[in-house]
This record gives sequence, C-alpha cells and structure tokens, in this order.
Amino acid sequence: MPGVMVFLCRCCGRIPPTVDLSALGEKIDREEGVVAVETRDTICLPEDRAAMLRSFEAGGADRILVAACSPYGKADDVVAKLSAACGGDRSRVRLVDIREGCAWIHRRDPVGATAKAGDLIGMNLGFLRHGKCSADAVVAVRPECMVVGAGSAGMAAALSIARAGHRVHLVERGAGMGGMLKLLSHVYPTDAGAEEKLKPSLQAISAQPLITLHAKTRVAAATGYAGDFKIRLASGTEETNLHVGAVILATGAGVWLPRGLYRYGELKGVLTLMELERRRKEGEETPRRSVFIQCVGARCPERPYCATFCCPSSIKNAALIKKEDPGAEVTILHRDIMTPGAILERYYRSALEAGVRFIRFAADAPPVVSGEGKVDSVAVFDTISGVKREIAADQVILSTPLVANADNTKLAELFHIGIDRYGFFREDYPLHPLETRQAGVFICGSARWPVASGDAAAQGEGAAMKALAILGRERLSARSLSRLPEGKLGHARIEDAFCSGCGNCVAVCPYEACALQKVGGIFVSRVNKMRCRACGSCTSVCPNGTIQMPEHNARAVGAMIRRAFSLREAR
Amino acid sequence: MSELIHTIREKSQELLAAGRVDGILCLVRDRFDVVQPRLIFRAEEIGSIETSPKWNLAKLALQTIRQSGPSFRLAVVCRGCDERALLELAKRNQFDATRITVLGYTCSREQAESCLCVRPYPEKPLAGEKIEGVDPFADPRVSALLTGDEGKRMARWAGLLSRCIKCYGCRNACPICVCTPCKLEDDLWVERAVVPTELIPYHLIRAFHLSDTCVACGACQDACPVGIPLLTLQLLMRRRLQERYAYEAGLEADRKSPLLMDFDHASPAGFELPAWTVSSEAPHER
Amino acid sequence: MNAPERNDKKPSPRVLVFACRWCALVGADAAGRKKTELPASFRVIPVECASMVEPDSVLRALASGADGVAVMGCHLGGCRFNDANHVAVKRMEALGDLLDTVGIGRRRLLLSFGTAHEGHEFAEILGNFLQELGPLPELTPWRKTLLNLPAFR
Repeated sequence: MPGVMVFLCRCCGRIPPTVDLSALGEKIDREEGVVAVETRDTICLPEDRAAMLRSFEAGGADRILVAACSPYGKADDVVAKLSAACGGDRSRVRLVDIREGCAWIHRRDPVGATAKAGDLIGMNLGFLRHGKCSADAVVAVRPECMVVGAGSAGMAAALSIARAGHRVHLVERGAGMGGMLKLLSHVYPTDAGAEEKLKPSLQAISAQPLITLHAKTRVAAATGYAGDFKIRLASGTEETNLHVGAVILATGAGVWLPRGLYRYGELKGVLTLMELERRRKEGEETPRRSVFIQCVGARCPERPYCATFCCPSSIKNAALIKKEDPGAEVTILHRDIMTPGAILERYYRSALEAGVRFIRFAADAPPVVSGEGKVDSVAVFDTISGVKREIAADQVILSTPLVANADNTKLAELFHIGIDRYGFFREDYPLHPLETRQAGVFICGSARWPVASGDAAAQGEGAAMKALAILGRERLSARSLSRLPEGKLGHARIEDAFCSGCGNCVAVCPYEACALQKVGGIFVSRVNKMRCRACGSCTSVCPNGTIQMPEHNARAVGAMIRRAFSLREAR
Repeated sequence: MSELIHTIREKSQELLAAGRVDGILCLVRDRFDVVQPRLIFRAEEIGSIETSPKWNLAKLALQTIRQSGPSFRLAVVCRGCDERALLELAKRNQFDATRITVLGYTCSREQAESCLCVRPYPEKPLAGEKIEGVDPFADPRVSALLTGDEGKRMARWAGLLSRCIKCYGCRNACPICVCTPCKLEDDLWVERAVVPTELIPYHLIRAFHLSDTCVACGACQDACPVGIPLLTLQLLMRRRLQERYAYEAGLEADRKSPLLMDFDHASPAGFELPAWTVSSEAPHER
Repeated sequence: MNAPERNDKKPSPRVLVFACRWCALVGADAAGRKKTELPASFRVIPVECASMVEPDSVLRALASGADGVAVMGCHLGGCRFNDANHVAVKRMEALGDLLDTVGIGRRRLLLSFGTAHEGHEFAEILGNFLQELGPLPELTPWRKTLLNLPAFR
C-alpha cells in the first residue's frame, strides 16, 4: 500500500506560531504509512497547488492529506482539484482544519493547539487508510413526464415541459382542464373574467401535440425512481401504462364547507365565497346588501393557517358588486386584511375608496348572523371603534380556506413522499420548495400550500424547470442527485452476507431507500441508490455494521476515535 | 401432577395427534431424571413434558425452525418471556411467524419474584392463572445499582462487570442476539483475545443494541457463569421507553420501535417541537 | 465573546465532538473565525448528519480516552435530510439512560440540536461542557496493571 503524502499549510503565518508546524512535520514524517511531509505557505494559490501536484506525482503516494484551513473556505476547492490527480476519487484526499478549528480557537494555548493539530492529523491519517468510494449507479432517463392535475399549476407545468420538447402526460381526474379557475367568475387583481384568463392555456395545450390529456383518469400504481418511473393509470375499467422520467403533482386543493358555522345550511342567503362566484358567473342578480365574513374556519385550532386568497377574493367581489351597483351596501367583516405586495395593497385601497366598508372583529367575539328562514342581519363588535354594530344583510358570504385534496394521502403513499399535518404535500425542507423527499417527484400549486392561480402557475413553471433538469439528460447518475456541487457523499452499501433482515434500516431511512427482499428464503436489505441521499441514518441503527457509507465507514471513523487523544499519561 | 402440566400435556397431545404441528419444543424429564429441552415428535414422549425450572427456549426455537425444512411447524411450550422474545424475532423477520405455535403457561409467584418480572405470563396463556407482576425497582439489589450516588454506583458496576471472562454466554443465550457476524467479535469495537474484557465496549454496546428489543427474559443473567446481574443493565432503558413512548418490547407485533421512527410517528410524551420550526407545522396558540 | 474561563488548576476534560457539517460544524467554524478562545482538549469529527453518529461510537470514544462526547446537529425541523435528526435525538436520549444506569452519567453526553451557524452559541455550549465536566474515572484500574505484567507483554 503506497502511502500518504502530507501537506501542511502555513497560511502565510496565520497558523504558526500557535501551531508549531515544524515540530509537527517531523513527528508526522516518522509515522508509518506517511511517504513525505511538505510544508507550504498558501495551498489555496495556483502556484502552490501546482507544486503540490508535482510532489505528489513524484512521491509515489496514493493518498493526500492536507492540513490547512476550514472546509467552508477555499480548501474544498483544493481538495476537488487534488482528487483529480487521484483519478477523481475524493476518498483519497482528506482535508484537516487546523486553522479555524485549532490555531485560531486556541491562540492562548500553543502547546495544546499543537498537540491537538497532531491528533487531528493522526485521526485523519487513520481515516484515509480506510476511506472508500461508493460505486455510482447510472440509469437511462425516460424523456417523458407526467403531470397529475390540470389546474393552473398543472397546465403551466405541462406547457413548460412541452415547449422544451418533451412529451407530457397530463392526468386529470375530472372531465376537463382548468381546475379551480373554472369555478370562478373573475380573477384578482386584474378583475379579468376567469374564463378569459383560462382560454389561452386551454388553447395552448390543445394546440400542443406533445401534451396528451388523460381525462377522468387517476394514478393507480407507481414504482421506480428519478429518471425511471413506471406508472399505471386507471380510467374506469381501462388501464394505461406510462414510463416517465419525472412526476409533477399539481392536484390542487378543495374548498372547506362551513357546516355549522354562521347558520350556513340553515338560512337562505348564507353562502360560501365559491357559491358567490358561481352565482355571479351564471349572471344571477346580486342582492343589495352583502356582508362578507372572513377567516371562517381558518386561523383556528383545526386549521391555524391563513389561506392567502380569501381576502383579495372577497375584496374583488365586493369592489365588483359596488362597481355594478354603486348604491349597493357591501361590508367586509375581517380579523385582519391580508393583501401583501404593492398591487394587492392598491387593490384594497381602491375597494375602500369605492365605498366598501371594512369592519374588524376579534377572534373570540365572532359576528352573529340572524334571520328566520332567510338571513336578516349580522351583529358584530367593531374592535377599532369599540362599538357594537348591527348590519342589515340580504346575503352573507363566508370566506373559507382551501383544504388539502383527499387524494393527497394516497398519492403520497404511491410516490413515497410526505404530507404535513394538514394533508398538503411536504416540500423537501430547507431551500427546495418545489421538490419532495423523492428525487424526480415535484409538487406545485395548492397541492403544496393554498395559493391563487397566478402563483400556482409560477410554481408550475418552477417545478417544470426542476423536472427538465432530469428529463433533459440521457443518463442520470445517483451521485448527481444531491443538489450539492460535489454531489452527495455516496450511497449506502450493504454487505449481503452479514444482513440479518431485521429491517431497522428500512424503518429509519428518511427516503425509503432501503427495502427487504427475499433472497434464497431469507430476507436481505437492498439499497436503492437513486433514492439514497447518504445521510447515514441506516448505519447508526444497523446492529452489526452490515450497512455502511463507504466514504464514512465504521473502520475509518473507528480509526479517528482511537487516535483522537494521544494518551500521554496513563489513565 | 399439577393442573398446569396436565393442561399443557393434553394440548400438546391434541396438536400432535391432529397433525397440526410436526414437533414440540419443550422441557422433558429424561430417563436419568434430568430435566432439559428436547424436540419431541411422538405421543409417547408427551408424558415426560415438564414446565419447570425456568429455561428460556426462544433461541432454541429459532434455531430449530432455521435448521428444519421449510414446511416444518413447531409448537413451543414456554413462558411469557419466551413468547415475547419470539414476537420480537418475528417482527425482525427472523422466522415466519405462522410456523410457530406458542403453548404458553404462566409463572408462579416465586418465579416472578426470582426473575423480578413485570409480566410473568404470556398474552393468552394456555395453562395457569395470570398473576400480578413485580416491580424490579422495588428490589434492593436493583435499586442499589440503579438509584443513588453516581460515583458509588459506577464503582459497584465496575466491580461486577470486571468479573466478566468474555465467555460470550450472555450473547449466545440472548434470544434477540442473532447477528452474524457480531460486533462484539469485531476488533474494531471490542479488543479481541484480551481478558479482562474492555468494560464499556462489550457490555454497553450489547446493552444498547438491546435497548428497545430486550424482553427481560433474563436468559443472559442465567447464562452468566460469574453472576453479573446483566438484566439490570436493561431495566432503566425499558422503563424510559415505557414512560416516553408507552412502548414495551415483545407486546405489539405491528409496532416498530419508537427509536426507529421520527417525531411525527412516535413522539415522546410531553415533547413539543419548538414553535419556530417549519411554519405549517407550528402549533398555534388559541 | 469569550467562552467561560477555565480554572487552570484542573486539566481540561477530553471531549470528542461529532458535529454535523450543515449546522454544528459551521458553528464551530464561526467560533474559530471570531477568534473565540476555548480549551484545546476537544477534537471534532465532522459527519454528514447527526443521525450518522452510532451510539456505539460514543461508547467507543468513552472507552478510548474521552471524558465526554458531544453530538451536535441541526435544529429539530431543520434537518436537510428530512428529519433524520429526530431519530438521532431519540437514540442518544436512550443512550443517556444507559450511561445513567452504570453511573457514567448522561451528563457526559452533550446533545445539542440548536446551534445552527451561531459561533458564540457553539463556544458557550461547548465551553460550559468543558468547564463542568470532570475526568472519567478509570473503570477497570487493575486492568492496566494486569496488562503491564511481564507475562502479558
């Protein structure tokens, strides 16, 4: 076994004098397995790096240890370039931080710091001896994509992907496309007709030969991983099989019905916001006096969230009613008005100017709807003026939130992704809002969290871009599936002969990357390299070390533990 | 002959005669008047079945199943602790649960007190009356080791564990310890071929591996030739699992250990995720 | 901000720190960049996620010269590996129960899942740990004597 080439960096005098590199260098040189030790001034600069590479190639070592600065600085770049000299095998190069982690944090104790640096280098020499590299897996990518849900988000996603030249299967459980927009009469903040807004998307999709619409169809089964999903669709008794590279879930959300609140279902004239939209769309006459009540069934213990669309929606309808009939009396009873951004703020103000009344109530003193047979009036305690008001009303419109689609649970199971406590699909936290814990499965629109159609479309396009990053390739390597610049650490590896089939790794994996298979009558665990993200959870629950991360295996870590404290005194 | 033995022998007879099992693993009194485990096949042997002394058969049952053909059906005459051990083994896919029938019987008060057992009975005993369990923490030997001054306890444990001669008897006897190879024989974790044993690596690694699977059968303790109270090592962990997650190993075939699940699926009692975490998850005050 | 001053009469305890490279290690790094001063008796092993730390490694560390072990990861709910740190917290808590059992004490296992990138927090938490921890008593004092006998060498 050739040995390790060690480079110590003086960091232009910022590591010594606290850490005595010359004494250290001598000690390390005497270690077994160390071919040579070289001290340099600035390993981050190209000249020094070139010199290092020359020394390494001449020296006959096959691994490199660099003792320098923090892994979060330039050093990582150095490691990447040096590993190129080792055939791209990053497990052959190891960086030890003796600056931020040693010289700078123990400036008042040079003796201790030097001893620590010696231990750190010893630990990592031990690690290097045992570090291995995971074999990568490469799959051929299917160029087609499936989008589930043909609402605003789904249509936008489908169009984006088709425009990039890939076939899209747009799966919709209903009879046609359009989603929630089909139920609305107008949209905010432009006050354009909903049908008008929908038309361009519908036309574009119909004109796009790469989009195949599967109406009245659901997803019945799904297996596979990023680049290679096998889907079975069911439409009545008919079945279709798809083979796609990525899946986008844009299944939207449903409206919550306020049964038992504000005498909904008891009195005529008490309706939901959606019903108001329907009536206005069908041209029904609007009564003179309307009262909107906001936050019905939202921002309460069962649904402690704001659904974001209901305030602008009520304002939209209120302002339109006032425009059509300036003499109409329109009041909005609210807990807070949520209209973020300049455009929506202007929208709110113009409603105020048009004569829409806004009255604030407290959560613990909700308005009371009265009437017999049909609605008569609404009593509310106005928290801003401190006065109780009685407002005559011909109709009371209840703004209810969006709630998760009942299908989400089944889809989450089929695709092995998570749902949150309200039933919405879970994003891959942090920083990846349109991705899920399964690579290749994306979420957008209200299926992810309640949004209005404009935002849903934007998310759909975002999810499409993410999907295209996979679909656009001919081949996908497991290593590239982490979003880290250097790829993920590797993937777990199972030593078949050791596995007792206990299933601990299967239970603990956050990505469901392990599964038990029956091999010769006994159960053995198998790792799906495309799903594994190299978190290492499995390695810490395996009773006998069967499953290991080659880049961080037990022997390497064990070597580090044993060399951490060079026992100078007897204990 | 006690009613308990009578019922057990009767049931065993029935099963064999009806051809519902191919063999019965039980304790028998042999012709030298020695009681030991045996796999019996014939009706003539039923009469020698015994139900004492306490002898854990779960591991033998597992080995029997593994060494027999794929269609071999086994009945095991055993106590509650063995039944729980078999449940945990089945949960971990060590054998096909449909191939083993448990003929369970309850333990006597003397036995329960001797084992300090919280559950001296199988779930649905075939024979015997269920009696109340014993609280091991009330026993002075246990409380001497588990409560009180830390320094003194460590010295006591060090003294007890230093008797260890690394015979691996505890590991061999434990029904849950089935891994091959075993970490305790790996130089990386436990120094090989050196006695006295390294205390922490051997005993504590084994104890932790069993934290959520130990069924407190005491086979380890029974096997130890130098009398180390090995069962006591597990008692505190078992109690905390009970307190935090209402979990006891050996009782629920469909429930995975809470130590393998995230907080959404198995949150410890009285634990709240901090309010700032992912906003859609934060519990709101009302 | 400096970590609490140590009473220089006692040697600083040896602590092995397992720090996840997404949060805790960044905190350690930040403490260094801020030139915070800490005793030089701890060593850091970076890991991908706190869930990668085997409880057996903690035990091995205690048997290999460490007086204490620290396992540091991301905030609960902030793990980039889909809440893998939840399992780590639970298992380390259970390990603490075992350490309590034999009198080593769970206070020798520091669990910190909340420092994120904050250098001063890292320094404070580790600094307090180093200050309050005493050396781990030799569990088998006669073992070294025995192994040093001529017959064994």
